[in-house]
Amino acid sequence: MQFKQLIATGLITATFAFVSTSVFADPVVDQPAPAFTGTTADGGKLSLDSLRGKTVVLEWTNNECPFVKKHYESGNIPQLQKDAADKDISWIQIISSAPGKQGHVDGATALKLNDTRGAKPAYVVLDEDGKIGKLYGAQTTPHIYVIDAKGVLVYKGGIDNIPTAKKEDLAKATNYVRETWIALADGKKVPHPSTKPYGCSIKYPT
Amino acid sequence: MQKTAYRNLLSTLFLAVLCYVPVAWSASHQASTPQVQAELVSSTKQVVAGEIVNLGISLKIIPHWHTYWQNPGDSGTVTTIDWQFSQPSQVSEIFWPIPSRFRLGPIVNYGYENVVTLPVKVKVSPDAKVGESFKATAIVDWLVCKEECIPQQVTLTLDLPVVSAANITKDVHGNTLIEESLAKQPQEIPFEDNLKQVNLEKTNDGMVLHIPDSSLTSEQIQDVWFYPYEWGKIAQSIEQTKTVNADGITLALKHGDAPLSPHESLEGVLVVKEKRGDEVTERGYLIHPKLVIPQSLSGNATSDTKSVNQGSDLGFATALLLALIGGVILNLMPCVFPVLSIKALSLVSHAQHSQREILWQGIVYTLGVLASFAFLAGLLIALKAGGAQIGWGFQFQSPLFVVAVAYLMFAVGLSLSGVFTIGGSVTGLGSNLADKPGYAGSFFTGVLATIVATPCTAPFMAAALGYALTQPALKLIFIFLSLGFGLALPYLLLTAWPALHRKLPRPGLWMERTKQVFAFPMYLAAVWLVWVLAQQSGVNGVAIALGGMVLIAFAAWIYDSTRYVSFKAQIAANAGVTILLLSTLLISYTYLDDVAVVDTKSTVKSDVNNHWEAYSSQRLEQLLAEGKPVFLNFTAAWCISCLVNERVALSQPEVVAEFEKNNVTYLKGDWTNKDTQITNVLTTFGRSGVPLYVFYPTGKGAKPVELPQILTPSIVLDAIQSSL
Repeated sequence: MQFKQLIATGLITATFAFVSTSVFADPVVDQPAPAFTGTTADGGKLSLDSLRGKTVVLEWTNNECPFVKKHYESGNIPQLQKDAADKDISWIQIISSAPGKQGHVDGATALKLNDTRGAKPAYVVLDEDGKIGKLYGAQTTPHIYVIDAKGVLVYKGGIDNIPTAKKEDLAKATNYVRETWIALADGKKVPHPSTKPYGCSIKYPT
Repeated sequence: MQKTAYRNLLSTLFLAVLCYVPVAWSASHQASTPQVQAELVSSTKQVVAGEIVNLGISLKIIPHWHTYWQNPGDSGTVTTIDWQFSQPSQVSEIFWPIPSRFRLGPIVNYGYENVVTLPVKVKVSPDAKVGESFKATAIVDWLVCKEECIPQQVTLTLDLPVVSAANITKDVHGNTLIEESLAKQPQEIPFEDNLKQVNLEKTNDGMVLHIPDSSLTSEQIQDVWFYPYEWGKIAQSIEQTKTVNADGITLALKHGDAPLSPHESLEGVLVVKEKRGDEVTERGYLIHPKLVIPQSLSGNATSDTKSVNQGSDLGFATALLLALIGGVILNLMPCVFPVLSIKALSLVSHAQHSQREILWQGIVYTLGVLASFAFLAGLLIALKAGGAQIGWGFQFQSPLFVVAVAYLMFAVGLSLSGVFTIGGSVTGLGSNLADKPGYAGSFFTGVLATIVATPCTAPFMAAALGYALTQPALKLIFIFLSLGFGLALPYLLLTAWPALHRKLPRPGLWMERTKQVFAFPMYLAAVWLVWVLAQQSGVNGVAIALGGMVLIAFAAWIYDSTRYVSFKAQIAANAGVTILLLSTLLISYTYLDDVAVVDTKSTVKSDVNNHWEAYSSQRLEQLLAEGKPVFLNFTAAWCISCLVNERVALSQPEVVAEFEKNNVTYLKGDWTNKDTQITNVLTTFGRSGVPLYVFYPTGKGAKPVELPQILTPSIVLDAIQSSL
């Protein structure tokens, strides 16, 4: 029933045109990921377009959030970042906390924090005005987005399926990032393309 | 009454949590963190073995901080309680009091501030002995947030002596807290009118929730918010636009990231905040309507909302193209083929004519088809405008239409058999170059092709028409015309392409014989229509139809046998023929009700030997509520592909066995006659006609799987097995 999908697509495109006028311009899975250019922790610029051809992971973070701590102190996210580097996947850590709010750090501190936590993301983007966060409709820390080599958003949601701040839950959790990577590598459909994000709210400027 | 409601709820909520904790544990019934004071409370100071006691976790939260509801909203985590008892006892889920919402920039959370008590019902172990101590231990995990969040855990214990029922005393402090919380439980809406219900309709960009109860509304309403139980069903952070008036409350909701599928229920709590006097009260109502897709939106009912990016114009262009292809495929349908064969025959007879002449025949035939489709489109638009619940093939739901087509088929058959010839027009035999009846014949062959084509909803057509029905009138007409053009196209090409028809064999006696052979498919078509009629109008209907056919045969005989008599006698004969035909139609019209008299369900009556049951919406809902797998088949006696599918796929032993093996209930709905219930279901699946095959896998809320319109046993088996 390819036909139906085509028909549906038309109607849905119209729907999205509508939705995008609302508060959140939520990016949609299977659609091109919204383009952005951000300031990196080392003072450079990073545009999403420059990473075309590689799988990209966006990770919203806030080093003081207990949910983020769960994934860093347990070594879960650092390991994912290391695996990403091995697979030539670009991992972008994004900090959208506004100045004066929890998790807001300057570039040097952000890099130092990663050092002490053994974290090795490919890039750290500082988004203190929350523009990139709002562009992606990011709500929580952590909140994960995976973009494929063609620039299409293939996953958005939680890092795994157990929404707690307890480290002991990691062992039984299904890690959606790994699951997405495996599906992409096998050329298969991403099993859970959109899941419930969980964690602390992002401390956007008010 | 409230008590019994709780008891009912309780029995469904009880979990078989049987735990045993050694009594060597010392902790208090209270614990504090800098943000939260937690206390384990009980409604009574003692417990009775085998009886229910209300326990609760009371949280006192410092100002500006909050904990979370069962759905925390955009961020946050639900509060959990891990209960353990010194004597194994059953404990219910938390009875969540109605939540509040907290907005932080673009993020909305659902939860509680200041004070909240989370009650549970515990059925004390029947083995607890009087004189023993019943120790309840609760490990409580919560996330408390202001803007920052802190996960916290406390362990609370409470010792309650086991006593006999006579010696039980109320714990005023605990009981007050628990009762206050239970008073804030959401309730079913107390509709004054039992027929009223909450409804949920899909719109272009979301859903509209309507609660048609005026008692809920008052001018003092300050706030209305719908709190969904599950993430993703609605966009939680987007403002819910409310309309409150005498008709009740209407809320506009936006889709979330895991939108509802048709028929799925939106479950959650509606909280109405109103000012009465100086006091602001909040009431919560349980909401669980099923999503209905209105006809105007049914085109995208079953769509996946995450499709690729394409323009809506392409949707229309594609619809046109597919309607065209669908039309071409129609030529191969069993209902159309006999008509097409007549045309093919006439083309052979035209082979001696000029190319120009033949092309004109093709064009006139095309015009006949197009005119019929335009007429049908107009009819549909008119009926739609009148608000009728109709679908494709609807005309076959009228016994009068069925009998008329049966007569027509029979008459065409007679003509092919040579009982009579109308100026040679039907087949074009003997017509000369400028023979007008020849053109009329071509035109009406086109009309005929359209009439008999409609019950064969080819797979392409179903989708195209489902789409067409949702479109504005002009687009609908274009899609229909495209479909008609597709139907006419093969013949038109034959007539336009001299090289093609020059390859056709030369005319001769074989043509007469072939023509006669083609009469038999027409008779068969008439027999089939009488069978359809039998199911609509019963035995009497069959008698009328067959009697009518005899009259038609008689009229045909008179007409033909008087062709070569004097002009006056011919006039008399023609008058006789006219009277005969008119009386046939009149009798049929008088004695056949336009509305089917026979209960349509008689054709799909369940009986012991059948492996299926008759469809009813109640039965389907009941099965789905139980989470049982269901195979749904919507069929009609006049739908040939439906009958074929039932024979070659659904009645095959391996399919029947698979149904049995997996406890699949096979429900069959008959759309032979008008049935609004079924039309509505078709609409929710974006269909305008039968067949429709849907498999609902095991488990509540499982997504229904739609099967193609042409079935094979393996398609059915795959659908069942892949969703296990």
